Amino acid sequence: MPPGLDNLRHIVVLMMENRSFDHMLGSLTAVNPQIDGVTNQFSNPDTTSALVKPQALAEFQGQLDPDPDHHFPAVDLQIFGGDTSPNRVANMQGFVKSYFNQQKDVGHSQKIMYYFAQNQLPVLTTLALEFAVFNRWFASIPGPTICNRAFAHYGTSFGRVDMNLLYVNEPFKSIYDRLINATPKHTSKLYYYDTASSTMEITNLLQNQPELFGTYQQFLDDCRTGNLPDYSFVEPNYSDHDSDDGEEVASDQHPDHNVQAGEVFIASVYKAIKQNASLWQSTALLVVYDEHGGIYDHVAPPACTPDQFQASPNDTGTGMPFAFDRLGVRVPAILISPWIPKGTIVNRVFDHASIPGTVTKFLLGDYSPRSPRETSADVFIEPNVAPVDPARNLLSLDTMRTDCPDFDV
Amino acid sequence: MALIHVPRPENAWNPNRPVNALLKSQIVHLYEAELKLPLRLQTDIYINAIKTEGEAADYVRQVTEAIGAAHQAATAKRARSRVRRTSKVGTKKKSPSKPRRRRG
Repeated sequence: MPPGLDNLRHIVVLMMENRSFDHMLGSLTAVNPQIDGVTNQFSNPDTTSALVKPQALAEFQGQLDPDPDHHFPAVDLQIFGGDTSPNRVANMQGFVKSYFNQQKDVGHSQKIMYYFAQNQLPVLTTLALEFAVFNRWFASIPGPTICNRAFAHYGTSFGRVDMNLLYVNEPFKSIYDRLINATPKHTSKLYYYDTASSTMEITNLLQNQPELFGTYQQFLDDCRTGNLPDYSFVEPNYSDHDSDDGEEVASDQHPDHNVQAGEVFIASVYKAIKQNASLWQSTALLVVYDEHGGIYDHVAPPACTPDQFQASPNDTGTGMPFAFDRLGVRVPAILISPWIPKGTIVNRVFDHASIPGTVTKFLLGDYSPRSPRETSADVFIEPNVAPVDPARNLLSLDTMRTDCPDFDV
Repeated sequence: MALIHVPRPENAWNPNRPVNALLKSQIVHLYEAELKLPLRLQTDIYINAIKTEGEAADYVRQVTEAIGAAHQAATAKRARSRVRRTSKVGTKKKSPSKPRRRRG
């Protein structure tokens, strides 16, 4: 059995907010052409029909204000360029048009095409180049945060394409319930940043099972003391607020929050795991973004297995129903482990349903019932049962790497 | 590998930033949870009047901590009633035994 899988005891997922792949990692095509980022072949028309190319002019804060629209109708426009015909094809030509709709300012609408230069994001770009970067990780739905994050916890959004998900009598259990009620029992925890930031998307779990939750300080303590659960989900800080420790700056990277604060946070999660040698060799960390936040990406989201739910034309706001048979816009995703070869690039298709899908298959083997979207989603960690396909196993090294980067956070 | 420098943001903190759609949604979800709390643990915050991130964070903190407090109170109550039941069983007075007759 591959030693990386044999040693694996902990899976950690850190989910950031609202940035597209091209926006954050698009610059890396210049470093490695196998990374499917930005080239000067791409453009979007603005409302004067001028073609706007992606440019490395993104700023950490103050540029994407107002927050680019990423609700279902706006994302539909971004993906299909305004075509509403029955046989339309996704062309990713509506991003500038969509942002123009918010302020009617042609110059400002062009900023939706901006991306970060590699040296602006030393943490995310280093991790992408050092470990496994996913060329085809998509949001689960062409819509906003809450329904997309639901896929990370439940493998479905139960038919919702909006933010009004209250989870009443839902037919599928969360990944946390599956784990803690399994035989043998597994451990699992959701770490929100602090009580003033709390959990964004699963208040339903918080109000019924607060024992599932911890703060980021507890995450740091659990890493240090070797008490990290089998599966952990980490949420960033969603707001600027006061705390006993002073000024807390939002680290979620949601526009218009500071992107550098998110870089520091990602590095801090990585460092907490890496500092404990025993934890480092037995942990895989996935850094992923919930959705693109209305920001340009050039890869058309593919079709996928329909879910068992359907959103009505009224719910989608487009006049068309949605069968959850198409993924959302591409987002950054990086899998980190000392057992992953440097410079790994993954071209298989994933979405957030892959998160409970992978954790379930790796820790529980099998589980039923699960949503059609989850059972058909690909896994990013192979189940540790023979035979393991070497072409799919990302934790493939025979010996652990000792050349992994460190950050001064 | 060399230590990689991570720049810190400067002057980024602004609790007076208008609350975004995401935080508004979180507040609505927490409000649903707050309505189920015992009255003594509910806030007196009118969520429609929350305008800034600092105000949103204050509300989120109060409700999150109240949820924790409500569960702790329920756990403590459960433990107390368990102790009472146990102690009643443990201290049950024995019925006076009948004096034994001496044989013989």
